[in-house]
Amino acid sequence: MRDRKKLKLLPAWMIWANPILKRYARSRLRPASFGVALLMTILVAGFFFFLARETTARSIQNPIDVGRMPLIPLLILQGLILFGLGTGQAAAGITTEADEGVIDYQRLAPMTPFTKVLGYLFGLPIREWILCLATLPFTGYSIWKGQVPLNGVLQLYAVFFMAAILYHLTGLLAGSVMKNRRWAFLTSTGLVMVLYLIIPQAAKFGLVYLKYVTIYPVFNEVYPSLIPRPLGDAAEVFNTIIPPAKFFGLNFPQYVFTLISQGVLSLAMVMMLWRRWRKADCHLLGKFAATGLFGWLQMMLLGNALPLMNSGDLFPSRELDRRFGRLINPDIQFWSPKTWEATVMIGIYGLVTLASLWWLTFIISADQHGQVRGWRRARKLGNLKLPLLSDGATSVPWALTMSVMGAVGWFIFGRELIDSHWYPELSLLTVTPVAMFSILACGGLGMAALLESVGRKVTGLVVILGGILPVMLGVILAVSSDDFVALAVWLAGICPVSWPIYGSGVFLSEEGMPRDVARAIPNAFWFWQGVGAILTVWLLKKLRSARKKISDSSKEF
Amino acid sequence: MSESGIVIKDLRVDYGDFVAVNDISLTIPSGVVYGLVGPNGAGKTSTFKVLTTLMEPTYGEVNVAGFDIFESAEEARRVMAYMPDLAPVPSDLKLWEFLDFHADTHRLGRASDRRERLDECLKIVNLYDKRSAWCKELSRGQTQRLVLAKTLLHRPKVLILDEPASGLDPLSRREMRIALQALAADGATVVVSSHILSELAEMCSSLCVMNQGELLASGTAEEVRRALGRAERNLSVMTSGDSEKVKAWLEGWIGVSELKVDGSRVGFQFLGGEEEQERLLIELVNAGLKIRSFEEESSSFEEILVRVAEGNREV
Repeated sequence: MRDRKKLKLLPAWMIWANPILKRYARSRLRPASFGVALLMTILVAGFFFFLARETTARSIQNPIDVGRMPLIPLLILQGLILFGLGTGQAAAGITTEADEGVIDYQRLAPMTPFTKVLGYLFGLPIREWILCLATLPFTGYSIWKGQVPLNGVLQLYAVFFMAAILYHLTGLLAGSVMKNRRWAFLTSTGLVMVLYLIIPQAAKFGLVYLKYVTIYPVFNEVYPSLIPRPLGDAAEVFNTIIPPAKFFGLNFPQYVFTLISQGVLSLAMVMMLWRRWRKADCHLLGKFAATGLFGWLQMMLLGNALPLMNSGDLFPSRELDRRFGRLINPDIQFWSPKTWEATVMIGIYGLVTLASLWWLTFIISADQHGQVRGWRRARKLGNLKLPLLSDGATSVPWALTMSVMGAVGWFIFGRELIDSHWYPELSLLTVTPVAMFSILACGGLGMAALLESVGRKVTGLVVILGGILPVMLGVILAVSSDDFVALAVWLAGICPVSWPIYGSGVFLSEEGMPRDVARAIPNAFWFWQGVGAILTVWLLKKLRSARKKISDSSKEF
Repeated sequence: MSESGIVIKDLRVDYGDFVAVNDISLTIPSGVVYGLVGPNGAGKTSTFKVLTTLMEPTYGEVNVAGFDIFESAEEARRVMAYMPDLAPVPSDLKLWEFLDFHADTHRLGRASDRRERLDECLKIVNLYDKRSAWCKELSRGQTQRLVLAKTLLHRPKVLILDEPASGLDPLSRREMRIALQALAADGATVVVSSHILSELAEMCSSLCVMNQGELLASGTAEEVRRALGRAERNLSVMTSGDSEKVKAWLEGWIGVSELKVDGSRVGFQFLGGEEEQERLLIELVNAGLKIRSFEEESSSFEEILVRVAEGNREV
């Protein structure tokens, strides 16, 4: 039977006509509750505005400097409203719909999945958007009175709103996969906190790209013009030596690179949500897209890190030295990085690569139910094999591809770091690329094999028993007595999370560690790597026979 | 009855090793109220979820009002409506807002046109007086009626209702039945599942029985009864005369068994079709036995399903 006519659906860009947006505008902007929230926001914003102005007006006489004072407190308030509350609302709102069961009505609404994503993206946190906008008159007045260059402010707020969209998308995704609305709210707001408190620390250890998912880079560039001029001028001196956003051989203005970075991540999240709205039980990402995203992350990590190596701007101690070096030790004329910095940076790079590999493998791996369905459908259609990109197909080749990509990226990072002029006496072990691949392959393939053969719940149990418990025990042993440190190293070595860290210590033969630790780390690393490799091969064999069994059992269809 | 309202071909739904729907094929014409009957776990809700595009089947083809639901999901959604079991409503909207939102998703004209239509639907389900109440304040039955109003809003060509009568009082049930039959008379396809089987038999022009994912039988209630090997009907006669006389008369009739006398009522099982049943009534009256009423007990149909369900347990 052929379709009789094609339907004219609401175009996604007509956001003002989006029924989901209008529905939330109606429920979340009711005069009684919204009025109170608006009043509170204006009161708090007004309080910060006048407090900042009046306290400085006593010591600073210049009206321009006084005018600038409220800008940063207001930005923090706007961030709390839009990043914190808005993200939590996006997550909790979508979970509430699923919880109440009304989400199925929206699935049945004749709108494109993209229109629905946009409706929820701007509809669920609509109150927070308006509350944030309500504080802008105070900001506008401060910009005017403080004679702040408009260019910088526009860059800052463009990135600020882009970041809000990215975090709200994160909230929507968290809400789509979580069942409890309180947990969804707490998790998503927790994610934003992590993004602003922990991720920037990782960015200081070589993963420069991670700072571009926050507003920090643009804020650091712009903030001298947001504070009173005497302080701003001093800050400007530091800023002249802050490098621009470098990507391989290219230089970008900070705001442009931040917008591109956040825009691509937002697109990836929109794609995940779009897939979920199209088919409720499909994977968040297709296999090809997940591998592409992994490649993109590697490219961004390398692209931002490599240009900063020879100048030394990649090293955590460089920034400290610039700001406080002379104050701490006036005798030091020349800065140079320490060996431990290279060890830590290589370890963290490997750890983040392994974590992203696990995350994407988790997304694209089908449980047994998905495999059975995939096989039966393929058989019904007369196919002898599952299409490589289908949800039911194995994720093993893709996890392997990502492991290779990750190992290449990791090795390039490590080699470029050690080959830079800062470490003339250091070199990587010959076996380093193989060991890096082994760490990622054992982690990635092991995870894929576990997920596909025993499912998510058992995999979760394995992660707790094999990944978390040994580390906890190791930490307790290590702090209880110096005699147990070597044992703790062995115990924590069971956990794949420790492999990149141990590995980087082994590749560089870090000196300066206690002798028993220095001896235990390589032994534990190679031993557990061997065990990990054997286990991975065994799991893959087990998975192969399990998949063959599913394939054979579906032949009757 | 004109073109096909719903065409299902080789539909299969699996949950791991459990087969919820096993290769069923079914054609439901438009302009009918069609019943889907079966014990819990028969596969009714899974079939409904596939029909309404909420779930992707393992395989199979489904056309709804001429649209392939996998190729043209949005088009199919435009012409169908679904009322799930224990129909949920949002807690943060008023009745009219809930309906207006759904009217808006279906792009039912301007706000004034939409309001007119939603008032019309609220009147059909007798909730007009509560149009400004919060959805969360409604009773179970009122909630069912509200969701029924939502399903009627865009004048769908196909309505899929999972246990729509649960929670409704007898009057509301009757009104719902009338409303659904009127929709079918206008050419819509109405598919209903229910455990209140007597009502389903009364409401539906045809039905099918599902069990453990299989389609056991389909057709009119009579055809289904025959197909499932339960040709006997439970009949009862009320007499204003001597019930023992009626019993004695019936004992001589071919196909009559299990006779029981309870005061002025004589119950029995009858093996035969509708024509034989009509002839039996005429003969009873002609025999001068003072027959006050003659009726078929609805439980006969329920017994079929009880046996089907018991068969599952024995297996």
